[in-house]
Amino acid sequence: MPSGALVFQTVVLGVLLGGLYALLAAGLTLYFGVMRVVMIAHSAFLILAAYLAWYFQLATGLDPLLSLPITVPVFFAVGVAMQRLLLARLQPATRTMMSVLLTFAIAVVIEGALGSLFTGTQHRIQLGYSGASLELLGARVAVVKLLAFAMAAAAMLALYVVMTRSRFGQALRATIQHPEAAKLVGIPTDRVVGYGFGLGLATAAIGGTALALDSTIYPSLHWRWIGPLMAIIVVGGLGSVVGTAIAAMALGMVMSLLQIPLGTTWAQTGFYLALFATLAIRPQGFFGGRLAKRF
Amino acid sequence: MRRGAIVRLAVIAIGAGLVLSFPAAAGDPYMLTVGITIVNYAVLATAWNFVGGFIGYISLGHSALSGLGAYGTALLIAAGLPSFVALFAAAALVALLAVPIGAAALRVRGASFVIVSIALVLILLLVFQSWASLTGGSRGLVVPRPFPGLHRAEHHLVFFFLFAALLAGTLLAWWLIDRSRFGLGLKAIREDEDKSQSLGIPTFAFKLIVFVVSAAFTALGGGLYALWFGDLDPVFQFSVLTGSTMVLMALLGGVRHLFGPLLGAVVVGAALESFKLAYGDTPLHLVATGLLLGGVVMFMPEGVIPALSSLWRRRFGPQEASIREVTAAALLDRARHEPAERVVQEADRTGGGR
Amino acid sequence: MDSVFRVKRGMTAAVVTAVLVTAACGRDRKSGGSAGDPIVIGVSLPLTGDFSEPGKGIQRGYEAWAKIVNDGGGLLGRQVKLKFLDDASNADRVVSDYEQLIGKDKVALVFGPFSTRLVVPSARVAEEYGMLFVEPAGAAKQVFEQGFKNLFYAAPAVATEHYNLLAKYVLALPEATRPRTAAYASMDDPFAQSTAYGFKAKLEAGGIKTLVNEVYPPNTTEFSGIAAKIAASNADIVVGGSQYQDGVNLIVTLQQLNYQPKLAAFSTAPTEAEFAKAIGNKAEGVLAPTGYTPQSKFPSNVEFVHKYTAQFGGLPGEDEANGYSTGQVVAAAVKAVGCAEQGSCQGKLVAWLHANQVETVVGPLRWDDRGRPQGEHMIQQWVGGKIQIVLPAALKEADLIYPKPAW
Repeated sequence: MPSGALVFQTVVLGVLLGGLYALLAAGLTLYFGVMRVVMIAHSAFLILAAYLAWYFQLATGLDPLLSLPITVPVFFAVGVAMQRLLLARLQPATRTMMSVLLTFAIAVVIEGALGSLFTGTQHRIQLGYSGASLELLGARVAVVKLLAFAMAAAAMLALYVVMTRSRFGQALRATIQHPEAAKLVGIPTDRVVGYGFGLGLATAAIGGTALALDSTIYPSLHWRWIGPLMAIIVVGGLGSVVGTAIAAMALGMVMSLLQIPLGTTWAQTGFYLALFATLAIRPQGFFGGRLAKRF
Repeated sequence: MRRGAIVRLAVIAIGAGLVLSFPAAAGDPYMLTVGITIVNYAVLATAWNFVGGFIGYISLGHSALSGLGAYGTALLIAAGLPSFVALFAAAALVALLAVPIGAAALRVRGASFVIVSIALVLILLLVFQSWASLTGGSRGLVVPRPFPGLHRAEHHLVFFFLFAALLAGTLLAWWLIDRSRFGLGLKAIREDEDKSQSLGIPTFAFKLIVFVVSAAFTALGGGLYALWFGDLDPVFQFSVLTGSTMVLMALLGGVRHLFGPLLGAVVVGAALESFKLAYGDTPLHLVATGLLLGGVVMFMPEGVIPALSSLWRRRFGPQEASIREVTAAALLDRARHEPAERVVQEADRTGGGR
Repeated sequence: MDSVFRVKRGMTAAVVTAVLVTAACGRDRKSGGSAGDPIVIGVSLPLTGDFSEPGKGIQRGYEAWAKIVNDGGGLLGRQVKLKFLDDASNADRVVSDYEQLIGKDKVALVFGPFSTRLVVPSARVAEEYGMLFVEPAGAAKQVFEQGFKNLFYAAPAVATEHYNLLAKYVLALPEATRPRTAAYASMDDPFAQSTAYGFKAKLEAGGIKTLVNEVYPPNTTEFSGIAAKIAASNADIVVGGSQYQDGVNLIVTLQQLNYQPKLAAFSTAPTEAEFAKAIGNKAEGVLAPTGYTPQSKFPSNVEFVHKYTAQFGGLPGEDEANGYSTGQVVAAAVKAVGCAEQGSCQGKLVAWLHANQVETVVGPLRWDDRGRPQGEHMIQQWVGGKIQIVLPAALKEADLIYPKPAW
């Protein structure tokens, strides 16, 4: 029987991990919302951002967080360009399938390029505060993990504000809910979809920097992320940002707790079991609405 | 006799001749291993094409099935079965396992199917890494040699012909289904699943059957690879990348054609091998694979065969009025199924040789 | 229709006959080259990918060996030439590399690659082509259980024996201060696991209780779960069956949880130059086994260290030494037997090595019938900001610190 302290410690770690999952899955579900596209390359961009943060720290000696003002706008622009130049040009009839292959190809190109530039060797940012931790009700919380969680939470909040409070957010939600109707009322849906894509990719930039603070990175790491993220968006209901956030926190927590009796690797399978179970019982996901059902 | 049939027979004869004369032309055992790798790719891509070609479901997860075939073969040999009995028994088991897997995966269409197929590979990778007492974990599994004592060069020669035989069997099965009423039903599903269901085609059963057939041949390919190669590592057996290579080959060659995946396997396999020989196994070949896949998806999603034949027809045949409204493959299908039009085309071609 | 078929059948028959005939006579080609040509030695190494750092170390060792041999007039009066291929740490690729080296390039000799994971498949290629296979890195138990007859490991001891001296030391501590509990975490890698489990078996036999025993797959980056368990157990000893980065990550995570063991031993990671900085310069007291130190007084080592330093500008490490000793072992056999080519020569080389002892930079090596070396590893510890030999007593550069200071 695991001790209470170990369980509490694990719960805290689960919450911190879930926050990062939530941010990344939000990006993934956003692409799906605006364009019915499963963006396999999302986690590859995540790792790319982590490499940029690592390289930024290596080259300048500054804190990796300072790379964000560069990477976030760049990723936003790349996202818009990717949507306008590549994905929008696929034939609508086969777009869902072909977009998977296309984004898969992009992921492989990113992985190969990172491998060519930085070799396959693992890297880790060395920070003065890497090993530092705070005491929280008997649990030890690493400063870097707390920082990563804070970044994820802030980005989620910003995303929420943009989606609900701004005119662009309204247009975006209208486009997600009913593209044809949105077009009819005069929303430039093409441009909105492009910006939605940029927004999704910007979450990868923030997530990648957060990830780089506390994790070792290597080019093929993205395969470890894409599986759990896909599981989260299916469980949360494809296209539903709020559902995704809830699913991410819940699954992050459950997987952390499962690690105690099962060990790291078996616990990972939990994500996929949740995915299969969701598709078998409730294919539209547990928090998804009309949108997920339609697809 | 029809010209198409003669052409097809000639292609088959030349192809078979090329395959069978390859070991002599290869010269050294290394080239033979390259040949085996390519024929193995061709088997897997053709096996993939039972699902991808007939019902149009793109599975990125077929390496799960080939990996299961490989591990199944190895584990059954360890349990005491003779090598080739184990190979077929493993394929049968994978086919059996494909029933629940297929039933779960084929319930969902489009993006969800792809997600499920990728998840299948990733979960099997975790299971085979973790269940070390059975699978050897990350350390992998050693498959005993089916013909112990054979010099390595002879071992390769034997397996080249075994792989060629498996390829012939897989192609034959695809061809038989392609010509059958069953195949017609499958293709109806590919074109419009809802309509074909309302026309009375048992779509779910049809999809499941063809998925199981595909799984069996994929598992045979994986199992034969295990017997040939001798070492199984979960990271390479359950790799999304291997699965995507199958997709790339089939798409490049053309999923609606019997020899499409084979052609794709030869082109992509030879390209990858010579790329590795020239630049080593650097991550650059990942970039090359990715660019190739992206290029195929963007510019010729119907594959090389339709792209070339439509180019041929545009250059030398009659001008199509609305080439953009009908896909090249659909045109080709129509041409094949409507002899009358074909006659007109033939007449045009002979008449107006520009 | 008929005519077509007949033509086809005739063609096929002709082709099949041609194939069988040519295939039958195509295999009798000689290899090896004549007296004036250089002796080409084929090697596949992980120059990129997971094992690229140690892989490059082995490569430097091989290159140093080739230079020293060639400067001294070559082998059998012929120069030696190394042909390197990069297997990208990929088991699939390493097989194809040796296939190419032996089958296509017809090299006269081969040297082994790095890491047990790659040694087993490549050794099978060499075995089935009847080639001698001396390797610098396949130390795990598994390597020697495949029934290979041509394989020799050119280092002092197999992985399960690496911690022997430390186990003896720990169990000989006075009752009052002797540790009672231990926690183990190992990568699911034959080499890393063999080291940790060899130690575990000896400690358990000496009555030290195992509280945690975790295995993680290669490329694991998230150690929170494992570290939380180890920290919660508060074991006296922590043992990491690590390569490099996983060891660093585990230690950093343990530091975050403020877990302070009395003794911490990790394989491979602490011997790397980057290690102390990577864990925030809190390496004091961390232990690791090693098979080599540049200070050792074996006759050939003095020459090796001197010339290596001149060639590469730095002291050789364990990987470089193991590469070099591989070269020494093969050279000794070639000189004694007097041949270096594919074919029956290889069998003679194998037979000679089974019957003789070879002096190398890591000490005198001899092997049992499965190619296992019969020597002992040393134990190093981070003392005063650098890693130093602490066991055996005869070779020590510093005294072993126990219990370990806080990190």
